[in-house]
Amino acid sequence: MRVDYITGNTAIAEAAIVAGLKFYAGYPITPSSDIFEYLARELPKHGGHVIQFEDEIASINAVIGASWACAKAMTATSGPGFSLMLEAISLAVITETPLVIAYVMRTGPSTGVPTRAGQYDVLQATYGFHGGLVIPVLAASTPQEAYDLTVKAFNVSEMLRTPVVLLTDATIAHTYGKVIMRERGELEIIERIRPLTPPDKYKPYEPVKEHVPAMACFGDGYNVLVESLTHDERGYYAPRTDVQRKLMWRLYRKIVDSAPKLFDYSAIGLEGCDYAFISYGSTALSAQVAAKMLREKGYRVGTLKLRTLYPIYEDGIRKLVSSAKKVFVIENNVGLYYRELRAILRDKEVVSVPIIDLDLPQPQEIVEVVKQWL
Amino acid sequence: MAVAHPLDKYLRTDRIPTMWCPGCGLGIVMGTLLRAVDRRIKEGSLKRENVGFAGGIGCTARMTLYPLFDSAHVIHGRAIPFALAVKIVKPEMKMIVVGGDGDLAAIGGNHILHAIRRNADLLVVMVNNMIYGMTGGQVAPTTPRGLYTTTTPYGNPEREMNMIKLTAALGANYVARGSITHPQLLEQYLYKALGKRGLAFVEVISTCPELFGRHIGFRSPVDLYMEIRKRIVIKAKPSIEESDYSWEKGFVIGEFVDRDEPGFTDTIYEYLNKIRGGGVQ
Amino acid sequence: MEILIAGRGGQGILLLGHILGRAIAKHTNLYILGSEIYAAETRGGDSRVDLVVADREEDADFIKVMKADIAIFMHQLQLDAYKDLVRDGALVFIDKSNTTNIPQRNWKVYLEPYTDIAEKEIGNIRVANMVALGHLIKVTSIVPPEAVEDTIKEVVAREWVDVNIKAFRYYFSKS
Ligand SMILES: Cc1ncc(C[n+]2csc(CCOP(=O)(O)OP(=O)(O)O)c2C)c(N)n1
Ligand code: SF4
Repeated sequence: MRVDYITGNTAIAEAAIVAGLKFYAGYPITPSSDIFEYLARELPKHGGHVIQFEDEIASINAVIGASWACAKAMTATSGPGFSLMLEAISLAVITETPLVIAYVMRTGPSTGVPTRAGQYDVLQATYGFHGGLVIPVLAASTPQEAYDLTVKAFNVSEMLRTPVVLLTDATIAHTYGKVIMRERGELEIIERIRPLTPPDKYKPYEPVKEHVPAMACFGDGYNVLVESLTHDERGYYAPRTDVQRKLMWRLYRKIVDSAPKLFDYSAIGLEGCDYAFISYGSTALSAQVAAKMLREKGYRVGTLKLRTLYPIYEDGIRKLVSSAKKVFVIENNVGLYYRELRAILRDKEVVSVPIIDLDLPQPQEIVEVVKQWL
Repeated sequence: MAVAHPLDKYLRTDRIPTMWCPGCGLGIVMGTLLRAVDRRIKEGSLKRENVGFAGGIGCTARMTLYPLFDSAHVIHGRAIPFALAVKIVKPEMKMIVVGGDGDLAAIGGNHILHAIRRNADLLVVMVNNMIYGMTGGQVAPTTPRGLYTTTTPYGNPEREMNMIKLTAALGANYVARGSITHPQLLEQYLYKALGKRGLAFVEVISTCPELFGRHIGFRSPVDLYMEIRKRIVIKAKPSIEESDYSWEKGFVIGEFVDRDEPGFTDTIYEYLNKIRGGGVQ
Repeated sequence: MEILIAGRGGQGILLLGHILGRAIAKHTNLYILGSEIYAAETRGGDSRVDLVVADREEDADFIKVMKADIAIFMHQLQLDAYKDLVRDGALVFIDKSNTTNIPQRNWKVYLEPYTDIAEKEIGNIRVANMVALGHLIKVTSIVPPEAVEDTIKEVVAREWVDVNIKAFRYYFSKS
């Protein structure tokens, strides 16, 4: 265990190394570049590769290739770069390629304010790619969480053979914090399932555990097939409804059914509360302070900070805020994740508190907005 | 009774026949490529489990579906970064990228540019059938000027893209152009290319009888084949300038570049070893 | 506990804040979050470090100072700009060399010529930040001074360590 005082971006880089990262491909973009630069300096010392590609498209496709050579692989980017990666994320989904994307959000749309924060891309992170499936999205609000969730992101990607997005923003990226860094041996590190069957019996897309197939890699002698077309368990193109159904539901279920296992949050004062604040990422810091201010004024306000945004664990969230009469969803955008929560908290009044701010929304502003509803 | 073909051991025979149209030049490309690989394996300069294929999307890229090797059929234009990453992580691999002119010269153009600049250790086989086959006969960057395609119904007003000049200029270790009309020569180029470090680029002039040939008035695959064959000019040591082609001028085939600069993989492992050995701070 | 450190670009505010934050993180059981602001036109613009320190992780819950318990102001401009972020009863360290107008507040003020001390007694105007940090540590004892010195050695380029430590020790060598 080490203790350090580092930024959110450094925490991601450090944790990735501990998780076993062996290949990083990227294209510089603010505010994610210092993850790249830090790894460029440190990862080679651990025998890993860091390469700057010609664009984000090449980067993500290289990450997919590296993962198929059985290296743990990641990239980091922000909105414009993530947008370029979407087509390949879809490829990673259908080929069930474990990889991690650190998505450091910045103010948009388009070039926006490149150095400043926002949570505008929370839906894009999971819904942006084509094909109508879901990928896990974890959201950090402090450097410590960035560290812990990076390790978790790698574990989830390996366990479920899926791309995983680790979501932060410009604020967390450059916030310093005390980080307690648990290391190998002190942490659970999950590796993808490798085939136990001999090559002639091996089917690259045949699930062996909870919808997840074993993964053989290039050079293992298994004649693996990486196939972007709809495929059967052998990886053979099969343009048939029965095959498509089976594949879609398996890819969908393997993520959605793991919602309880992936669920990660912190709750303060939710038991017996009248009002619940739900938030995530940097804005959760503002929401927690705002709740504290209201509690001091005598209101029974609890907070739920979600660290797992996708897959959504509906029962888990419902249970946590069950005593609240009203739920406020506080976020630094026009009210996006609110739509998700409104859909699962149908029996409650769910209020969107969208506060657009280039930095952290001020707790006082949240209090003022929310007070009209108390 | 089916007779085993000598290349069957390298094929997923349960997937044959291929999806290609009757008379398509791609069958010749695949057969020739596998024969070149076979020669390398037989002579012991290549291990079978170390051969990997990657292709984007297109009729050509579908070549990745059939060889019984590690193989990736990824997305349009992006096979190069995929293959390059495999090679970096597993330097013992010999990665072969196959793609059409759309896959490699248009949408994937940026990647090939930088792969060559890096002298990435890849064999890139670009099939120039002068058309977008898979999507139904649209113009390609390589379509000769003046020819009719579905998206240039009044004739193609654009200059044809000469990938030989580009790859030579950027410093590939090996650059050749072959043609399906001359499979022995093509096999020789591919065999040689497989032995190179750094980037080897082989362009293959091929036929798409279904969508290219018919559109410009050749009714059968044989007609198109004969027409292309007529326009092929074989040169022992052609100059780079001679690689420029047009429908009227025809296509010079031959080896344009053959050099031996260090490849990307060697270079990055050299750095890595220095860093790990403490040589670089 | 909230600590605000503010001054003009070029006064070493970020380094001061970083060393203090790092020393607290690594050498105490306290939790801490810290954020930095600096104007693009580094020299002359606002420089500010906010540190939020708490016994429990969940109480180090914000990265901006709302009401500072401790503050260092190295320049009049930032003192004027941020004085309302400092609560009553706070300990406030002000560089007398760069200020003329001290607001009338319910603060415990330490008004000392950090910049003049750095220039005349230490021999390098650029270490005024460490003189101020030493004063803060001596008065508050948030971290042991040795921990700060270790942190200076970790963070500051080797050729500047000695002069920074000399400046940091200024108030410890006086009694
Ligand atoms: C991003 C994207 N855009 C467009 C397509 C559609 N598409 C598939 S193959 C192809 C071009 C095929 O031409 P070429 O690469 O020359 O290969 P050929 O079929 O001629 O062998 C296109 C445009 C796609 N699959 N993906
Ligand atoms: S469309 Fe053209 S290139 Fe594609 S398989 Fe048919 S003949 Fe070959």
